[in-house]
Amino acid sequence: MIACNCVVQAGQISADAEATLRGRLNEFAQRSFGAPAEINWIAIPERSGFTAGNPSTSSVISMRANAPVSPSARETLLRELCGIWTGETGCSLDEVVGVISDPQPN
Amino acid sequence: MPMYMCNAAKGVIDDAAKPKIAADITRIHCEVTGAPPQFVHAFFLDDAPTPPIAGKKAALFGSIRAGRDAAQKDRIIDEMRRSVHAHAGIPLEDIAMTTADVPASWVLEGGEIMPEPGEEAEWLAKHGAGSPAE
Repeated sequence: MIACNCVVQAGQISADAEATLRGRLNEFAQRSFGAPAEINWIAIPERSGFTAGNPSTSSVISMRANAPVSPSARETLLRELCGIWTGETGCSLDEVVGVISDPQPN
Repeated sequence: MPMYMCNAAKGVIDDAAKPKIAADITRIHCEVTGAPPQFVHAFFLDDAPTPPIAGKKAALFGSIRAGRDAAQKDRIIDEMRRSVHAHAGIPLEDIAMTTADVPASWVLEGGEIMPEPGEEAEWLAKHGAGSPAE
């Protein structure tokens, strides 16, 4: 399984969009890493998210790869990941943080 | 990035305290590291599984770009814990905090790979932001 954390602002993403995103992220993980995503969806309560000290509209999507990823491959994957998010939510790239981590050392 | 998550027992940090703590988190991170405030995310959770509160009343976890030294991290932890103490009234000993380093190259923000610490000017210019000093 590919650990995937999605930190979103409560009320910003509809239930339908969340379901679609879960499916798209799982497809992405299967295609990119050969394993399904284990999605941990974390909704930040209203009035509880801040960016630059102001109310936040940001989402943070992080995945942990199951093998080390080269810099060029990582950038390609990050662009696809953030593209999925903006495409499904309608938010801008300035509102998305994507993270693809290497596996944790044993 | 950085992303600071603050998890607390339900009702311990009220909605009036959150923007004050978030402002402090942003200011402290920028003062200690020189990073621009645009990068700083501060999110609050109530009784969430992570970051684990582990017997405390509040737990802060900061995912920060790799490259900060131990003294910087110690100062971030000390000053942010004191901010939560000041604004939420939680005893210092009941506030836990840890940080984790994340390589800048692992992160895409604003459609660009995050700059290494100290190399933010070009990134900010592309995003129409002011200088890091602003």
